[in-house]
Amino acid sequence: MTRLVVIGNGMVGSRFVEEIVARDVDGRFDITVLGAEPYRPYNRVLLSEVVAGKVDMLGLELPQADERASVHLGTEVVAIDRAQRVVQTESSSTPYDLLVLATGAAARIPEVPGLDGDLPAGVHPLRTLDDAREIVAATANASRAVVVGGGVLGVEVTCGLVGRGLEVTLVHGGAGVMDRQLAPGAGLVAEASLARLGVRCWTRARTLGISTRNGRVASVAVQGCPPAGTASDTAAAADLEADLVVLAIGTAPACSVAAAAGLATGRGIRVGADLGTADPAIYAIGDCAEPPEGASGLIAQGWAQARQLATQLTGSESDPARQVRTRPSVAVRLGSVIAAREMRGAASAVPAVSGTDVVKLKAHGLDVVAMGVCGGSPPAPDHRVLRLDDAASGRHVEVVVAQGQLVGATCVGSPDLAADLVATYTRRTPVPGDPSMLFLRPVVPSPAVAAGPEQMPARATVCTCNSVSKGDIADSFHAGARSVAEVARATRATTGCGSCTARVCGLLDWLGANEKENADVTVG
Amino acid sequence: MSALTAHRAASHCPYCALQCGMTISAEPGQAIAVEPRAFPTNRGGMCQKGWTSPAVLTAPDRLTTPLLRGPSGELEPVSWDIALDHVADTLRRLQVDHGRDAVAVFGGGGLTNEKAYALGKFARAVLRTSRIDYNGRFCMSSAAAAANASLGLDRGLPFPLADLGRADAVLLLGSNLAETMPPAVQHLAEVRDRGGLVVVDPRRSATAALTGELTPGVDGGGRGSQGVHLQPVPGTDLAVLLGLLHVVLMEGLADAGYLAARTTGLQDLRRSVVAWWPERVAAISGVPANALRRTAQLLAAAAPSHGGRGVYVLTGRGVEQSVQGTATVTAAINLALVLGLVGRTGSGYGAITGQGNGQGGREHGQKSDQLPGYRSITDSTARAHVAAVWGIEPDDLPGPGVPAVQLLRELGTPHGARALLVHGSNLLVSAPDATAVAERLRSLDLLVVCDVVPSETARIADVVLPVTQWAEEEGTMTSLEGRVIRRRQALAPPDGVRSELWILAQLAERLGSPVHFDTEPADVFAELARASAGGRADYSGLSHARLDADENAAGPGFFWPVPATDHPGTPRMFLDGFPTADGRARLIAVEHLGPDDQVRSDAPIHLVTGRVLQHYQSGAQTRRVDELNAAVAEPYVELHPVLGFRLGVPDGALVRITSARGWVEAGARWTDRIRPDTVFMPFHFAGVGSVNRVTNDATDPISGMPEFKVCAVELSAVGEEAVA
Repeated sequence: MTRLVVIGNGMVGSRFVEEIVARDVDGRFDITVLGAEPYRPYNRVLLSEVVAGKVDMLGLELPQADERASVHLGTEVVAIDRAQRVVQTESSSTPYDLLVLATGAAARIPEVPGLDGDLPAGVHPLRTLDDAREIVAATANASRAVVVGGGVLGVEVTCGLVGRGLEVTLVHGGAGVMDRQLAPGAGLVAEASLARLGVRCWTRARTLGISTRNGRVASVAVQGCPPAGTASDTAAAADLEADLVVLAIGTAPACSVAAAAGLATGRGIRVGADLGTADPAIYAIGDCAEPPEGASGLIAQGWAQARQLATQLTGSESDPARQVRTRPSVAVRLGSVIAAREMRGAASAVPAVSGTDVVKLKAHGLDVVAMGVCGGSPPAPDHRVLRLDDAASGRHVEVVVAQGQLVGATCVGSPDLAADLVATYTRRTPVPGDPSMLFLRPVVPSPAVAAGPEQMPARATVCTCNSVSKGDIADSFHAGARSVAEVARATRATTGCGSCTARVCGLLDWLGANEKENADVTVG
Repeated sequence: MSALTAHRAASHCPYCALQCGMTISAEPGQAIAVEPRAFPTNRGGMCQKGWTSPAVLTAPDRLTTPLLRGPSGELEPVSWDIALDHVADTLRRLQVDHGRDAVAVFGGGGLTNEKAYALGKFARAVLRTSRIDYNGRFCMSSAAAAANASLGLDRGLPFPLADLGRADAVLLLGSNLAETMPPAVQHLAEVRDRGGLVVVDPRRSATAALTGELTPGVDGGGRGSQGVHLQPVPGTDLAVLLGLLHVVLMEGLADAGYLAARTTGLQDLRRSVVAWWPERVAAISGVPANALRRTAQLLAAAAPSHGGRGVYVLTGRGVEQSVQGTATVTAAINLALVLGLVGRTGSGYGAITGQGNGQGGREHGQKSDQLPGYRSITDSTARAHVAAVWGIEPDDLPGPGVPAVQLLRELGTPHGARALLVHGSNLLVSAPDATAVAERLRSLDLLVVCDVVPSETARIADVVLPVTQWAEEEGTMTSLEGRVIRRRQALAPPDGVRSELWILAQLAERLGSPVHFDTEPADVFAELARASAGGRADYSGLSHARLDADENAAGPGFFWPVPATDHPGTPRMFLDGFPTADGRARLIAVEHLGPDDQVRSDAPIHLVTGRVLQHYQSGAQTRRVDELNAAVAEPYVELHPVLGFRLGVPDGALVRITSARGWVEAGARWTDRIRPDTVFMPFHFAGVGSVNRVTNDATDPISGMPEFKVCAVELSAVGEEAVA
């Protein structure tokens, strides 16, 4: 038996164990999982939805393969003894043959006065279930919130708190909200949408410090560009009153234990394309890892790594779920497409595609989707960039096309189109010769023109069940059919599903009126 | 109405599982005519196929004599004795030389219950081969496997179709019933008026269009005036269902009381769908996240636990003909269960059966692992019961065989059969990767086809046996509702034509089998009823006489199970519990993996297949009807103008579709009713336009269902290479 120890029981660690268990049909692995949090694995991606009150905290739990793995919750690893191949916790040590680090990332805390040491009451990051629980509890008595950080999570939390009735100010260090994903034009449209929700946005803003009253947060001192429409458009400073502050300035890979064990770390734990570290017994996956193509911070990449490593370690060619052939699912490919693209790009010395995976904002009241090349980085020479700017209706769409494929897109306020673009992007469906066609929603047919009987061509089908045309019905009329029943007898129209009955009635009325008119003319 | 006169019969349409009630008139000296009659499924309606069905009876190339491939290599007319002796002798020799499994049998979902039963009995008790399966494998197998696992039993619709009219919402997954069974649309009228029709289909099919004119605006999400149309990327229906389940469970919309009282497995299901949040599903399926949320909310509001009138969740081949077809139906059932719908009057889950007797065909022994009465062939009690009815020893019965695709793939190989008997199926057009199937069929020592017309498959057979068809025979069918109905004879078959019941009895005798075969349909039914007694599909309380008497008295009809002669039948199932060990339904967690054949740079377009209103299945019948050919004469490729522009394929141009398995050519038809990343072809045609030459024969690991509904293809205008 191979002793496999997994440090981390989050979304990626637990998924990795599931993937291993599914492949290890012979029971070759003796699996131990050490999770720092006291909870079974849960869906961290949905924490902002908990803050928004859209999903219940108790329902976030993910599957855990605990019938095959020995899972220890609330167990923090303090050291890795690589020489002895032992993982040490406060109270015990666990030997390993193979070690997988899936320690994730921790929320970054601004280094400003008031936030050194323990966070004051009312100030929370949003990374764990406990964070979400505390923020939700705080909203009960809070009326004014400041969200520090206007990336994806910050904007999601902002919209969530607005939905709970709080007055929210968003303080963002960049030039525009979600500027990693949104170029300035798109950012302005997004900010305008936030403003319509009542959010006040500070940009290019530094958080100077946090003041407390009786141990609770009282205000946040900021300096930067104040919200549009305020007295000063240039740099300004303010002390924003707040009884709730959420910190969303990003995460830092949790790699201190790995670093202390002498493993190479940069932004995260450095691994090769095989997800292995320099120590052949140790691998790293998920947010704690820094693979050659870079970490996207998105779950799709971590799940793809979990699957890749499980396949690699079990040497399984077959996909246990399908038992037919190995084939990553679309879900996984959503993550791996980018990785593959970037690695291939690097190998062939073609400029790698910048940007990350598909980013979809989960916010109620603001719809943002971005993928591939986005965020206003200068386009490569062969990139065609097309923009649809419809700020007045809160819509901004940008597509980037290279070599007949969609390599990037940004969609603000256009969810249906965004859904089409994501499908095109992830499957690398060839784009139309004129990429401007991408701005139309081709899959929604225009409503049928309600043509009156006189405009309808004679060959137009009236009864689809029986292939009866307007001409056929007119013929039956001229042969003497005057009621729907008589037309049905002559042509079978209306005898299938019956939904054309009204149209046949209308035709009979029209034919009757025509006949009368003609008769009148003849008589007259 | 019932038997009427000698020349008028109250019967049913020969085609689909709706089994529209019709009256057949065959007065001497007059053309045979049909008229729809009042019947609960068609309510007096009938589509063009039904109206023109008499033309099949008088098809100019109707087979009226047995044919045997002679020394010239051509099929030549021979007497019944010569044909049957040749078949029997060859079968005997092959089984002596190569074992019992050297002979395989392929049945059909269009056969009457009596024929399906006799065919299964012939295979198991006379040939004693394990190798029997049928074209229903291409039809209902995924839905059947899922329903059996989750609910303990599979009856297509476990409720009368008319019940749909009382619901507030109907979710149709991969069904285009407006074209496949048009009169059924009547049952959706009320739910459309309430704005509650939800259709999931990559195409804006005739059925999807029933959701009404779309709501304009940037965030329409498929909302129409009469419902919602969700248009996922082909092969991602399962992801859509997981997204709907996620919203229902995470937003607290589930029926907690029902789940606690009537199901098991909630915790595992809940954990499995936590990972399928709407934004993630949107990225995979192309269905906007808010459209998923709104749809889940619409369905929940219509569910009884929220005071709604009820919801029906219905699946069709569009979601079932997939390598994850069983998982997809399982997810659909999960959705119905978490909303508290199944086993409740006014709500439920059902599969819309396709073939005329797709339901009965799978209950009476054509399926590789089943004995009559929907019994498992591995269950020793079932084996003993059926063996006793057949007068043989249980040990004489073979074990389970292999599902259709594998059976076909192994024909003529060292692992497979060397002879094949085909009944009511046109494999050359209807099986996936049809070119490979043709090759397998040609490699056989003996191919025997029983059919009414020289179908494409019959034309390559060694022996062709002409058989009776619908208006020429008595029998029963089991409709999509599980209602057992009578097929009645209105006219005598042409001279020289025999019923399959007679053919099987003759072959049994010539093979020296002691097993007895009745040839009168009423007698065969009586035996079927005995064989099914105690099984899941229990017909033991039924007889032709009882069915006739009920119809003469304008009775309500009979839905199986009917376990006793005084039992009224079971219109609605599961009301008192599920036929599982603990009486509860199973919530079974499933994962989305996507189609087997995924789009890639050399095959970047999805191909989906389906039916058109005017044709039925392989077209062997409908392509012989002038009026239907006048409406739709040939295959075509539906594609979006955006794709047409990109590829330089104008409307009407000849286009070639190439997949990993082969190519097919047909005229392009531009339409805005399809996604630009997807093309559609109908599957009723033979020759270079026969789409199953390119479809994928990869199968669902549980049901054996091939993945007809999606594969990856490249498109090009024909003649393009010549120009370049």
